[in-house]
Amino acid sequence: MKPIGFSTGALAKGDFATGLALQRDVSRIDAVELSALRDHELPGLVGAIPDLDLADFDYVSLHAPSKLQTLDEHAVFELLLGLPEAWPIIVHPELLQTPSLWRQLGRRLCLENMDDRKTMGRTISELRTLFEAFPEATFCLDLGHARQIDPTMASAMLMLREFGDRLVELHISEVGSHGEHLPLGATTRQAFARVVHLVPAQCPLIIESIISAELIERELETVSMLFDTVAQQAAIA
Amino acid sequence: MTTALATLERRLEANWPAIRAARDRTDAIVGHLSSALSDLHDANCSVVVTGSLGRAEATEGSDADWVLLVDGPSDPEHAMLAREIENRVRAIVPKEVGPTGTFGSIVASHELVHYIAGTRDSNENLTRRILLLSESRALTNPMVRERVIRNVLARYVLYDRSVRSRSGRRQVVPHFLLNDVVRYWRTMASDYASKMWERSRRGWGIRNVKLRFSRKLLFAWGLLAAFAGELFAPAELHQVENDEQFYLMLADLIRSQTDVPPLELLARVVLEAGDDDIANDIFPSYDRFLNVLADPEARARLDAVRFEDALDEPAYSELRDVSQRFRRGVTRLFFDVHPKLKMLIRDFGVF
Repeated sequence: MKPIGFSTGALAKGDFATGLALQRDVSRIDAVELSALRDHELPGLVGAIPDLDLADFDYVSLHAPSKLQTLDEHAVFELLLGLPEAWPIIVHPELLQTPSLWRQLGRRLCLENMDDRKTMGRTISELRTLFEAFPEATFCLDLGHARQIDPTMASAMLMLREFGDRLVELHISEVGSHGEHLPLGATTRQAFARVVHLVPAQCPLIIESIISAELIERELETVSMLFDTVAQQAAIA
Repeated sequence: MTTALATLERRLEANWPAIRAARDRTDAIVGHLSSALSDLHDANCSVVVTGSLGRAEATEGSDADWVLLVDGPSDPEHAMLAREIENRVRAIVPKEVGPTGTFGSIVASHELVHYIAGTRDSNENLTRRILLLSESRALTNPMVRERVIRNVLARYVLYDRSVRSRSGRRQVVPHFLLNDVVRYWRTMASDYASKMWERSRRGWGIRNVKLRFSRKLLFAWGLLAAFAGELFAPAELHQVENDEQFYLMLADLIRSQTDVPPLELLARVVLEAGDDDIANDIFPSYDRFLNVLADPEARARLDAVRFEDALDEPAYSELRDVSQRFRRGVTRLFFDVHPKLKMLIRDFGVF
């Protein structure tokens, strides 16, 4: 069974403490992504880390800010550099304006594929260019973004084939027509089913569906079933 | 990047100035149009051109066959957006688009993806679908164009499969796509006759010439795209573990051909065939076709020539002769020379 959990931002926008608390008592959750998607959230989150109770989570990552509005690139980098070394730092490629700076993170730097609102990191060829610039970086495959770019999931499959050895985390949600993260719908599940068998067994699953607390169990069940069904089919075959 | 066309031109010590001029002119017009429309970005829409701009063959008399391709929730604002696009396109390319209504309007991806063949497909929908695949270029938001193309190809490749053969060999040529490509070619030829009838032969000359060159070229592109799994496949296509991955990769391979202008794709195969006689039949002929279209006087005469006077009209008469060379080259390529194509065309071309 893959480690599974939510992004704190999906459950409580801008409130990592609540996003964590909502997951702590859910028995099957053993992974979490701490979200600081807006840069003003980052200093508070980094400052709180020594006191955070993360004992229930086997896997922890941190999502770096997607835009710089109150901090500059160097300030964000310095804050991220102090994080525990075992935590992947999930980054949108547009943040990386000074490559030499970010290369210092080595494997801790984890590049996420993007949706169509962005200008880089969306396709296989754009990711290839990025990994040439950041050869040690790891990879976070956002299935929803990949499906928005290519609904057939051929691109996701090719990303898994080409960058599978870099993969450290999977983002899961449906992505709406305006880029919003939604609970998984029926057609999205069918599309994802084409590629989930290519995801390595121990790859952590981070759910980004924006949902209220009472829907946590249902969304967990939906995602778990998607992976379990495919795993069972593979076992039978 | 060096193109196959440029490589061939160099190898044959030839000069195809009209092809190069048309490509450069296309790039310039597409650049102007893209800039003019850049502030009309919408996440679910793409302004797409087909026709000569899509094939990189624009000449002085070319129009801009554009559509507003919508792949997302419908919105009444799309109509206002389409009007604004029309105004801006006309300011750069004043020539009116054709009278059929196929271009210069909103096109929803739903019909392109869901109405393939069957009773709800129409001549207009077939035309838009095949032109989107074979000769389209995005002026805005190329991701939307690519996404719709991927969904159309999914219908042809992922959702239409033959019963697996006893040998275990997978179906490399998607029959549904191939049949639609052939159907479109025959539709173009039949529509030529229909327009002769409906329009009392008005404008027949230029339509006849286009049928002999650019329409035939589109058909060649369609055949090559449908045969892509045999012609252009990387080794890993045949090494994938399961059928699902195989067909996803095949669809992706065909998708990548939709970014290659038809003349360039043909040049790649001619280059591979290594037969200079074929190259000398095809490309100088096509260069001459574009050269005549780029001459406003000759183009006007092609547009106005009466059917009865056809062979007395120098521009038409010459292009008719040149088209026979073009046809000879394409026919030899597909039927006689290219080792894979002649097998593919024999196995899939007719029966």
